[in-house]
Amino acid sequence: MLQTAFNGLVTGIIVALPALAVTLLFGVLKFANFAVGAMMTVAAYMVYALNTELDWPMLPATVAAAVAFGFMCILMDLVTFKPLRERGGLTLMVASLGLGFVLENVARLAYGNAARSYAMDLARPFRFMDIRMNREQMIAFVVATLAMAVMYVLLTRMPIGRAMRAVADNPALAQVRGIDSAAIIRWTWFIAGMLLAVGGVLIGMDRAIEPPMGASYLIPVFAAAILGGLGSPLGAFVGALLIGIVSEMATLVIPPNYRIGIPLLVIAAILIFRPQGLFGQAHIRR
Amino acid sequence: MIEFIVLMGIVVCFSGILALALNFQWGLGGMVNFGLAGFYALGAYSCALLMLKGGFNTFFAALGAMVIVGAVCGLVAFVTLRVTEEDYFAIVTLGVGEMLRLVALNEDWLTKGALGLTGIPRPLGATIPPTSYPYFMLALSIALVIACLWALNRLSRSPFGRVVRAVREDDVVAATLGKNVLWARVRIFAIGGVLIGLAGSLHAFYYQYIDPTQFSTIVIAYAFMAVIAGGRGAHLGTVLGAAVVMLLLEGSRFAKELVPLEADQLAAVRIIIIGVGLILLLIYRPHGFLREYRLQATLKEERPEPQPNTPKEAAT
Amino acid sequence: MSEIFRVEGLHAGYGAGDILKGVDLRVEEGTVVTIIGPNGSGKSTLVKTLAGLLRARQGDILLKGTSIRELSPPQRVHAGISYVPQEYNVFRNLTVLENLKIAREFMSGGRAKGPVVSDELVALFPELPSRFKALAGNLSGGQRQMLAFACALAVKPGLLIMDEPSAGLSPKYMTDIFDCIRKVNGTGVSVLMVEQNAIEALRISDECIVMATGRVRMCSPAASVLEMPDLQTLYLGDAATGQEPWASKSAA
Repeated sequence: MLQTAFNGLVTGIIVALPALAVTLLFGVLKFANFAVGAMMTVAAYMVYALNTELDWPMLPATVAAAVAFGFMCILMDLVTFKPLRERGGLTLMVASLGLGFVLENVARLAYGNAARSYAMDLARPFRFMDIRMNREQMIAFVVATLAMAVMYVLLTRMPIGRAMRAVADNPALAQVRGIDSAAIIRWTWFIAGMLLAVGGVLIGMDRAIEPPMGASYLIPVFAAAILGGLGSPLGAFVGALLIGIVSEMATLVIPPNYRIGIPLLVIAAILIFRPQGLFGQAHIRR
Repeated sequence: MIEFIVLMGIVVCFSGILALALNFQWGLGGMVNFGLAGFYALGAYSCALLMLKGGFNTFFAALGAMVIVGAVCGLVAFVTLRVTEEDYFAIVTLGVGEMLRLVALNEDWLTKGALGLTGIPRPLGATIPPTSYPYFMLALSIALVIACLWALNRLSRSPFGRVVRAVREDDVVAATLGKNVLWARVRIFAIGGVLIGLAGSLHAFYYQYIDPTQFSTIVIAYAFMAVIAGGRGAHLGTVLGAAVVMLLLEGSRFAKELVPLEADQLAAVRIIIIGVGLILLLIYRPHGFLREYRLQATLKEERPEPQPNTPKEAAT
Repeated sequence: MSEIFRVEGLHAGYGAGDILKGVDLRVEEGTVVTIIGPNGSGKSTLVKTLAGLLRARQGDILLKGTSIRELSPPQRVHAGISYVPQEYNVFRNLTVLENLKIAREFMSGGRAKGPVVSDELVALFPELPSRFKALAGNLSGGQRQMLAFACALAVKPGLLIMDEPSAGLSPKYMTDIFDCIRKVNGTGVSVLMVEQNAIEALRISDECIVMATGRVRMCSPAASVLEMPDLQTLYLGDAATGQEPWASKSAA
């Protein structure tokens, strides 16, 4: 059982990265981005290309891909979402659905449907207090925790993070307090893109790299963000861990194929009992 | 060639009904149904199972499927819409759609899982000879589409239709006017569900074999594209949009001969085109090619973004 | 005294039709100018347009002789205009200290020197330091207003624009705020404010501008407006005598 909890913890910490991206994007841009799954997929494939075709080791490959993907996200926003900025959350959401289709199938076009994996040496799993941990899980744990720590510092201690939170809180006021909203939006996409890229790589290491890999995480990711309260970074983190652990523990009693039911139930429960999530504002302004 | 056109026509019809359902739920009701594929599967499987296991005839099986999907949709709307946050609703419908597909895939005892259900009967299948059956099916499908169009138009112009529009434009105002917003939304979603059930039944009748892979995201992509191309809210336009989308994209199957891509990749290209098309349509042709009845003069289809956090004073 | 701010023939609005129908006004450097007028006169629309949140459709806005009409709100801030909106004028989900930090960092265009919490700030707003860690949304109305004011002063502006600074405040805070405005003006900041509490505002003002139906109707030294025996009548018009409100008067 401890093993299950640990597995859940690792899943949760991986989910925390895209969940944070979702919540940041929602806070600043005021819409639910359904392309995040496919975005993770594309980034994972980018690292795959660097790793297996150019023989880059995983770390530089991931860093390079993350930065590149950050810029790609800015570009995607410029082309897809910026023209629709005035049209409201629903339209943006549907546009993100379309973007998700495109991204996932670009990956499919380039690499086909067969599952792939990164070129990493096999390593033996090790045991710690009766829990079996393999190397991928340890890497995921360390990387994700590090990423979260960096984000925490960024959001709470650094001007850019404060500015992002300010724009999320009150875009008009942010403007008259001297914050350039357009620049903040670009930064938000860049940061979200990097988070999604790292998340995608971790998923690719944990499972396999295939076109639907990211989309299959959409529901847990959103459940985590909603549980934590859309717009609350701390909430995304806590929510992700909870979703991860509860989902894994639940597989002890329900068939693993229906694992996705747990995040769904969580969303339903949140909607009924506490729509603002654990840490969200009581009233989400649009 | 004629054969092909007839078969195409049939597919356009039930895709059109599916698009009509989405249009009703989203374009008129403001509720995005990302789980469309799952509900569609529910409709097809319900119809098939009612016939294969329940011994119903095609008419009652279709009716049963319509009721089932309508009820499930109504239930989902009821549970979800206690809070009217559109983003949450989309994700819930996505999740429910996924669950439905998982059930279809995993519950072998009921649905034969990945193997799918074969030998599905079709309306008047025993009476009409196989060579002329496609023509009958086409006629039936067209008749059903027209029936749906008529029904939806009547609904739009009825008092209920006004409530629907009021709720979509501004649910706070609608609520203060005493309209029961939650109930209206549940009904809207349920009615959409009924249509989805019908489309699913037709799907089952047409192919006579269903398996989970038929209900993938392509379905949603087509439907959204059709609705946007047709102009959200305009029923006839939606059907036309569905026709155009379907013809363009199914027609591209012929491209397989010309383009050196494998089947997988060609399918991927088709979806890429749909995705890009969807985005382009949203940006440049948000109202499609036809307008909604009643909103000719002032196009307020989109809820204008309220000035965020600045006081809502129009004057002073 | 030179002129620091001028508005010429300003037109602006939200949908079809203009709410501002040709506004002309000027602010002399170092003075306090108060705009009063009935509801619907366009006062709030005016300040929003001046801050840059609403596009001017016609006319010009000049700061120290240079047109700022095409500048975005952040650019106007950097040019020396500070704006305090009427409502939602603090970041409710950020702490008091964070609000001040943001104001300092971004209103100065990154050139801020010295600590966020200067002595002058504490002198003007003695209540704030004790609540630095509190979320701005948890402050009382009066404290929020003070915070909004403090943020607007994070970098000393040339012109401070305020939209109904005393709205919804208890009498104590109302006095405090007008007191603050007077002190701030004493340090050389010009002030342009919209106010409903006409009498209180005019007491600390140099000039009074009266607006109605989207235009400036009258412009007069505040002192003389205060002395007008029929200020009430001026404000509301007189049904008995048939005098219209805001009849044009030259400086008495």
